[in-house]
Amino acid sequence: MVRLSLRKKKNVLQNANAARKLVTFTETKSHVIEQFRTIRTNIRFSMPDEPLKTILITSSTPGEGKSTNAANLGVVFAQEDKKVLIIDADMRKPTLHHTFKTFNKVGLSNVLARRSELHDAIQETFIVGLDVITSGPIPPNPAELLSSQGLDVLLQEVKNQYDIIIIDSPPLLSVTDAQILANKCDGAIMILNTGVIDKRAAKKAQTLLAASHTKILGVVLNNYKTKNHYNYYDGYRYAE
Amino acid sequence: MGETISLQEIIKIIKKRLVLIIALTVIGCAVAAGISFYAITPIYDAQTQILVNQKGNADQVYSLQSTNIDLSLINTYQVIITSPVILTPVLESLDLDKTTGQLAQQISVFSKTDSKVVNIRVEDPNPAVAVDISNTVAEVFKENIPQLMSIDNISILSAAKLSENPSPVKPNKMMNIAIGAVIGVMLGIGLTFLIEYLDMSIKSERDVEDYLELPVIGMVDLIKEENQKRFSLIPRKARRG
Repeated sequence: MVRLSLRKKKNVLQNANAARKLVTFTETKSHVIEQFRTIRTNIRFSMPDEPLKTILITSSTPGEGKSTNAANLGVVFAQEDKKVLIIDADMRKPTLHHTFKTFNKVGLSNVLARRSELHDAIQETFIVGLDVITSGPIPPNPAELLSSQGLDVLLQEVKNQYDIIIIDSPPLLSVTDAQILANKCDGAIMILNTGVIDKRAAKKAQTLLAASHTKILGVVLNNYKTKNHYNYYDGYRYAE
Repeated sequence: MGETISLQEIIKIIKKRLVLIIALTVIGCAVAAGISFYAITPIYDAQTQILVNQKGNADQVYSLQSTNIDLSLINTYQVIITSPVILTPVLESLDLDKTTGQLAQQISVFSKTDSKVVNIRVEDPNPAVAVDISNTVAEVFKENIPQLMSIDNISILSAAKLSENPSPVKPNKMMNIAIGAVIGVMLGIGLTFLIEYLDMSIKSERDVEDYLELPVIGMVDLIKEENQKRFSLIPRKARRG
């Protein structure tokens, strides 16, 4: 009984937070925006010679902040006048349509299953230069859909249309989807929930990513408690 | 892992769990105080002083020789006082249900160097019993010494008296509380480091670089709930309608 009631509560909470926080859009002076800008800069510098268009956002376990980071990174790239596309490839627990308040009737699963055309799946958002492909209806076989030829074709097509494509994926240690996706992306970013994620889990995730022959661009420490000197720079920026 | 922890890190770790350490210190104090006040039976003490001084001719009293004899006898007397020879009659006369060994543990005999005064100190849960024992021991000792040593040089200098408000000598409450506090602090610090050691989570850039050997391309602060509420994406009108 107790367990049951706990579970119910958790579900309610998850629904309430389904929309990921878009600080990069809703605020202008938060130092969190500056942190996302730093990530944007570091991504650009991490592979200067090779074209870096498709970036996979993944983590070892659920709830580390993949979707939040993917959405906010998309916004900061769009603020740089880039044409950005975010693909919600987490077909098991999609959230992108909540975050950007779009419909999820037609999305990635439809395109991969050849039920609809790519241009029908791409939706514009309220942010200029930022388009999204939501997950679409939840399919019974996400891994098979992702490993199909359809995804290669899709990625090839959107690479021609966009400057940067950010792909939100399921966690590495739970399902194989992220590994399949990583293999088709130019680079991967691992989100780590600071202070929560176990070193061994992170190492395992890294090994899985390495097995899919992807360049790991780096790690983003999410929910990081910054020290006071960051606040100092904050104040400095306000004064400008 | 060949990790070295710097002093700053130790301070940081301790700071982080300061509440735990303080709590354990307070608990240590409380437990020590509780035990001292309620669990341990208070022990009272009584002291009888005896003077070792040879009686005899008036001119002999202060002779150096007799003084030296008395002093050299004091060590012997200290052993005799706690021997069954003295303690058995004491037990009989006081009608105590104890062995001479148990009684000997309650009695301590001491004197200052080169002093002819010997202190007989008795500890007992009952202050009246302590007084009785110390006085009886002194008396029995005084009576028996002429037979044992064929020398009569003992007189009772001051007998133990039962004060109206006896205060216990044991337990030493302040000392116990201090010990409790020290144990609490040590336990707290030990636990802090144990928790820190067992915590395998990634906490800093250094952890990532040491353990995963991956570059950290960014840190994102915890995004607070209130930020989202203030700047809702849906206009107010739309929500009302």
